[in-house]
Amino acid sequence: MTPDPDKFARRARALYLEASRQLDPSTAERLRATRRQALAAARPAPHRFASRVLLPVGAFAVLALATLMIWQPLRRADSATPQAASTAQTADADVDLPPDADSADPQLYQNLDFFDWLAANDTSSRSTEP
Amino acid sequence: MHPILSQPGQDADDADPDAMNSLAGALDSGLLAPDARAVPATLDAFLADVERRAFRLAELQLGHREDALDAVQDAMLRLVRHYRDKPAQEWTPLFWGILRRRIVDLQRRRKVRSIVVGWLGGRDEDGEDLPAWEPADSTPGPLQRLEDGKAWSEISAAVQRLPRRQREAFLLRMLEGLDVADTARAMGCSEGSVKTHLSRAMHHLRDQLEDWR
Repeated sequence: MTPDPDKFARRARALYLEASRQLDPSTAERLRATRRQALAAARPAPHRFASRVLLPVGAFAVLALATLMIWQPLRRADSATPQAASTAQTADADVDLPPDADSADPQLYQNLDFFDWLAANDTSSRSTEP
Repeated sequence: MHPILSQPGQDADDADPDAMNSLAGALDSGLLAPDARAVPATLDAFLADVERRAFRLAELQLGHREDALDAVQDAMLRLVRHYRDKPAQEWTPLFWGILRRRIVDLQRRRKVRSIVVGWLGGRDEDGEDLPAWEPADSTPGPLQRLEDGKAWSEISAAVQRLPRRQREAFLLRMLEGLDVADTARAMGCSEGSVKTHLSRAMHHLRDQLEDWR
């Protein structure tokens, strides 16, 4: 007796389709993930937009910031001359102030009466000079 | 009498290939629902429809789950990358053709590895020594849960013993249900060769599967 080819082929295909339907969940999930991955490789992804637009914009922003940081010290250097003049004026004004206690000679404080007298004589002698 | 219902002792190559393909055509209309033959509108739908069967077909030929997943993944990627702009009617033969070539590549690679391992005196764990249709791991596979798991295992083992071209013709034409033209395109041969390979495959299977009589 020979096999019925029609029955054989039908049975084989039915088993094949059933085995394909009855895949275990992990394999089925891996196949789905594979399909998603393959399709994602074809379509323009959002990160491509980011790399095409946001990256140049970000680079430009960094460049602008760096330019500003370099430009500001140069500007300060340019404005340093008037500042020095004002510092000199301040130094002249300090002459009339009492000397700083830390930088003054200790003998100044030990003989305050003497220096008072000296200063008074000096002022009076200047005022009497013709 | 149908040509492949041959008398005992009849030469297997004597069967009429056209009769074999008319049988396959009858099966196409009998087993598949009408909408199953429709071409999916999107590549996503096409791959979703075909992915499980592609895995089973690859697993049957390779006998290894991970290799089968690799083959299906590669076929999907190549189809999407290189042929997504092709008409939807061409996706089916293109996909099965890509998968077939990938399976052949993996089989060749495995053979080379087996030879190298043999020279080095080791043992190829992937398995020429394993039973033809036993999964590599010892845990019960999904097929064991099927009511017809035993029958599927038998036919799988028989199909694996077929010469490569006959096996491909049987899988694509009889199991997957491609028509002769698409099968020929997927196999990279003429339609006449498909018919011949299929006829011989059916005869070999008939000889092997005596319990199916």
